[in-house]
Amino acid sequence: MTPEPSRRDLLALAATTGVLTGLPTYTAGAAPDRPDSLPYQGSSDTTLWWQAPADEHSMIEQGLPVGNGRLGALASNDPGRELLLVTDATMWTGGRNDTLDADGQFPYGRADFGSFTLLARLTVDLPDHDLSAVNGYRRTLDLARGVVTTSYVRSGVTYRREIFASHPDDVIVLHFTQSGGGRYTGSVTLEGTHGEGETAVSFGAAFPNGLRYGAAVKAYGSGGRVAVRGTRIDFSGCRDLTVLVSGGTNYAPDAQAGYRAPALDPEKLARAKVRDAAAHSADVLLRTHVADHHALFGQLDLSLGPSTAEQRSLDTWERLKARARDGVPDPELEAQYLQFGRYVMIAGSRDSLPLGLQGLWLDGNDPDWMGDYHTDINIQMNYWMADRAGLARSFDALTDYCLAQLPSWTDLTRRLFDDPRNRYRNSTGKNAGWTVAISTNPYGGGGWWWHPAGNAWLCNSLWEHYEFTGSRTHLEKIYPLLKGACEFWEARLLTTTLPGTAREVLIADSDWSPEHGPLDAKGITYAQELVWALFGNYCVAAAELKRDSGFAATVAGLRKRLHLPQVSPKTGWLEEWMSPDNLGETTHRHLSPLVGLFPGDRIRPDSSPSDLVAGATALLTARGMESFGWANAWRSLCWARLKNAENAYRLVVNNLRPSSDGSNGTAFNLFDIYEVDKGRGIFQIDANFGTPAAMIEMLLYSRPGHIELLPALPGAWAASGSVTGVGARGGFVVDLRWRDGIPIEARIRSVGGRTTTVAFGGTSRTVTLRPGASVTLKDFAR
Amino acid sequence: MRSSSYSVMPARTLRALVVLALAAGAAVTAPTAHAETTAPALAAKPYMGWSSWSMQSSKYPGLNPEGDYSYLTEANVLKQAGALAAKLKKYGYEYVNIDAGWWMDKAWKSGFDEYGRQKPDPTRFPRGMKAVADDLHAKGLKAGIYLPAGLEKGAYGDGKTPIWNAEGCTTADIVYDDLRTTNGWDSSYKLDFAKPCTAKYIDSQARLIADWGYDFLKLDGVGPGSGKSGDQYDNVADVAAWNRAIAATGRPIHLELSWSLDIGHAPDWKKYSQGWRLDTDVECYCNTLVSWENSVDDRWDDTPAWTRHAGPGGWNDLDSLDVGNGEMDGLTKAERQSYATLWAIAKSPLYTGDDLTRLDSYGLSLLTNREVIAVDQGPNPPAHPVTPSDPQQVWAAKNADGTYTVALFNLADKPASVTADWSTLGFTGKATVRDLWNHENLGTYRNRITEALPAHGSRLFTVTPHGTTLRWTGIEAESPSNTLSGNASVADCSACSGGKKVGNLYVGGKLTVNGVVAPKAGTYQIKVAYVSGDARSVTVSANGGTGTAHKFPATGDWGTVSSVYVPVTLKAGTNTVSFDSGTGYAPDIDRIDVPQS
Repeated sequence: MTPEPSRRDLLALAATTGVLTGLPTYTAGAAPDRPDSLPYQGSSDTTLWWQAPADEHSMIEQGLPVGNGRLGALASNDPGRELLLVTDATMWTGGRNDTLDADGQFPYGRADFGSFTLLARLTVDLPDHDLSAVNGYRRTLDLARGVVTTSYVRSGVTYRREIFASHPDDVIVLHFTQSGGGRYTGSVTLEGTHGEGETAVSFGAAFPNGLRYGAAVKAYGSGGRVAVRGTRIDFSGCRDLTVLVSGGTNYAPDAQAGYRAPALDPEKLARAKVRDAAAHSADVLLRTHVADHHALFGQLDLSLGPSTAEQRSLDTWERLKARARDGVPDPELEAQYLQFGRYVMIAGSRDSLPLGLQGLWLDGNDPDWMGDYHTDINIQMNYWMADRAGLARSFDALTDYCLAQLPSWTDLTRRLFDDPRNRYRNSTGKNAGWTVAISTNPYGGGGWWWHPAGNAWLCNSLWEHYEFTGSRTHLEKIYPLLKGACEFWEARLLTTTLPGTAREVLIADSDWSPEHGPLDAKGITYAQELVWALFGNYCVAAAELKRDSGFAATVAGLRKRLHLPQVSPKTGWLEEWMSPDNLGETTHRHLSPLVGLFPGDRIRPDSSPSDLVAGATALLTARGMESFGWANAWRSLCWARLKNAENAYRLVVNNLRPSSDGSNGTAFNLFDIYEVDKGRGIFQIDANFGTPAAMIEMLLYSRPGHIELLPALPGAWAASGSVTGVGARGGFVVDLRWRDGIPIEARIRSVGGRTTTVAFGGTSRTVTLRPGASVTLKDFAR
Repeated sequence: MRSSSYSVMPARTLRALVVLALAAGAAVTAPTAHAETTAPALAAKPYMGWSSWSMQSSKYPGLNPEGDYSYLTEANVLKQAGALAAKLKKYGYEYVNIDAGWWMDKAWKSGFDEYGRQKPDPTRFPRGMKAVADDLHAKGLKAGIYLPAGLEKGAYGDGKTPIWNAEGCTTADIVYDDLRTTNGWDSSYKLDFAKPCTAKYIDSQARLIADWGYDFLKLDGVGPGSGKSGDQYDNVADVAAWNRAIAATGRPIHLELSWSLDIGHAPDWKKYSQGWRLDTDVECYCNTLVSWENSVDDRWDDTPAWTRHAGPGGWNDLDSLDVGNGEMDGLTKAERQSYATLWAIAKSPLYTGDDLTRLDSYGLSLLTNREVIAVDQGPNPPAHPVTPSDPQQVWAAKNADGTYTVALFNLADKPASVTADWSTLGFTGKATVRDLWNHENLGTYRNRITEALPAHGSRLFTVTPHGTTLRWTGIEAESPSNTLSGNASVADCSACSGGKKVGNLYVGGKLTVNGVVAPKAGTYQIKVAYVSGDARSVTVSANGGTGTAHKFPATGDWGTVSSVYVPVTLKAGTNTVSFDSGTGYAPDIDRIDVPQS
């Protein structure tokens, strides 16, 4: 076994891979812009509402999420006891996890690999406001303003509270007001969830892995008394009350520094953050937050057509139930579901670690599968929506993550991948570049099994962001990742002769088509497709950046020799294992062999051989329409690519089914629930992004040089609708209005793209634009 | 009670047996309504008081330090009576009921007098039972005592024990020759009322407790019920004998029957007693007095079938109301309020099993809320579910003054909103709402009220309508224009409107009611009249939608019709509404009514 790399080795690795490390995640911020008035008032179109709170046992299904991209919380909105389960994206146990198990794979425990875990619990107790004693209870999530509100009447007084997580002020704000002569009397308690002991205004501690963390709270009111008493902050007789919370860790996205900022004292910083924020009134903090949030949220407006007055009269949960019960489309609800995904992305992916299996939100210390990064669909799906939905900025967390992990991933690959116990090692005897495990943590570590093709899929996701944005800065950042992945595959590919032919092709070494079928299959479709796309992307990148022309030529040569998956003569399906036989479960959740249909586009209904399209369609059909969350979302995306609007829509609707007793579907708070065992549903956030991505893919398909309008518009949305701010690969943003299924107007704006065709139905036009310029197209016909 | 020394089956098994018993009794005809013309001497209202069993049966630390059930002593009874008199008597609580064990030593060994009658245990009750009753009466309270059904095995004494005041009769002359056992625990020999001596034994027991001065008797382990069915466990004759024996004493003694009585014999229980436990013990036999799941929550399912049997002279007994101390009860505040709400609207006797010396302030507020007590004790009928037995339920009763008592329940384990739609009360438009638990007028609500309820939470309102009466259009399930599929078929049903219903709705059986006309598009609460001997689920949908599965409460037998309201979204004009059994068994459907105004 190779010994631990020294710090110097890592520095050298970082130098060779060209990674630029960022600032510590939790840091003092610059003074924000503070508008003089509320910049946006909110709208019922983008406001969800409910008539019941969460309690502490139902937070994952009923708690409402807030977040500033790093610091998040689920809020119960219980009148008598507001509970916030506070998280920081970097709050992780575990470490590099670089000692393999006896089978050559990675340990996967909460101590070694680690787990995402809670930062703190904040409670605001109002003993006289018991839920059973208040009337007219209502809570809202204003997606456009990024604010959770609660209101109710107690003995004739109307009480209101607003909760939001401010990015500019880096605090969570709880603002309690009333009208009618009421007073607030109660207490605020901030507690750690890892046995830190009780404390009134702040706490700080460290995990065995050395990660330091801390949180702080501050409360102030008017007209009454607020005082620290023991381990609580008591308040009495207050006309209004403001509670501020901040917290964080000393995590740093820096392999060389061991992923720590050693000088950072998170507790002290948290105290400073709440102190600084308390210099401003709650109204000023709100205005500052809304200006910041709405600048992002407002990038995409969406209408899928009008709902009925009856539908509008229902609260969000009743509306979901009615949608499922009556089978009648509710276009405004469906648009709200998409916008909820965008809200959650803004709240969960900004200037810190990216969104894992549960995003930024937890209801306990030990989330299923560690709340980690799964590289065989889930983290990719989390980011399919971002560029499509006007949230290109939200994508950066994924890029930054991969860059910060790369030195360690490279090191682990070099030291451990060719371990003789690893069934997935390269039989070529060569080893280069980097890859990942199925699970990854933020400390450069892997968990569970090696996942050779995971590097290609991550790179392809990063590449698509470049296709959407045309950002050269981004391309320069990701180039080392692409190159290292290509080096890995150059060392790994095997030469084989296709049976019945004399043709020599390159195939992937032994691998597991994600979570499905034989563990050691050569030339799995999943790997062949991903590597084929990776090689192509790399060649373009090298040409764009004018780097490594020799290696690029090598890669281009390898790509030409790659075996491309075939349709089985036996099943009529696109093969998954380079075998005509079905070696797995017909309706398996993963669509790994269809990765070339979506998110890839080797299989194109408009230009690929019809038998290939038919094979992909047959496989997708066999996989069925009844899976769960992310699996339905992926199916929907594939059907959208195949222009089967009704199938794509039905899968969206399937995900909108209200979850009860843990069943698959959408929870009360719109989080997606996956029924992992009968009666036990767990929150997995991927479908909250994958389903919106599918909805957008139904409205607009793009690949560099080609945009298609309304490729899979379902009947439910056809009558009229509009969307602004949809990202298109090739470097464009599209605003689109339609009626009776036909575009009325499409505005194409270049964000770096030059030329693209814009197609609808049988017609296609070519648009050429300078970056920043736009053109409006009309007169479309079927 | 259901003490461990008697019980041989866990509560769940017992309840399963009751279900079988109900199924076996499915052919019983619907009893006539309770027709009292004058106020009965006993149980004109559900009784109120305290019972010893909850504390006896609990493993709560310190309650039973000398072994199981050892809480029952004269000192403890009088201590609780003192607290009852001081804190609760002015609200109507008056009975102090001594439960099982007064004739047993701390090892739970029974003692009998020379006539085979239960004899007070000298350690528990050193002054005997009369002294206790006298002390209770001195506090202005009433005294209750307890006996099991049948001749307890220990009283048999080789059959030679003489019967008091029955010349020539011995215990062998009152039981069956084969010494067949009876009651819920088989702890007694079954009494043979064909023998002339037998009633004399009951007379002797009645005389004893009357002489002691008791005002109340709980007769326990009574069948059919108490987890038993069949002739051997049919104690109707015992109950009838007790009724006559009590009358013969000249002392008004309230006779209460326990437990899980067979609803098929409701006419007997009504004829001979003043109350009947319709369910298993509410106690959990655990470290608290009760727990929500075992078995407070069962009452929401099990009460509706009995609702029509309650009235002056005889009431549905939901068992002890243990809401006085959250920590000892083992319940959340929300659960305690819901518990008290159901007991009040069902007009159950209100007797607490709490330690009255340790009521917490919330518990005291629940037990002494005069507006809620008035729901239980007042002249209005008990409430029944107007919506199906889903986790969110609305129960209502129409009061004599035109108002409605309306309770909202959220039986889910997480918070939820619950809506009472005025159309399920029969009117539309405005109504004023008073919140009984919180003593507040909430104002005017149009068409409905929605409130947020905590997990296992409730609200209790008086709704005063100011709107207009709804008009309805009915369609019979058996109408030839409807579509029956699968096993579904039309069957005779004398209690049903039109004399017919659609049954055999099981495993794919489906009824589609065609031609359901709605004046405009919207969600309607349609009224569904149905028959179902046990609680059954059915998926109700409109116009081919996915629909929603609802569990309809049991109507008690297969000849009794009840109705619930189910939301369906209809379009203006003609619609279809389907009742689909899916993969299970659904209720029989009699007819539906659709609001037209």
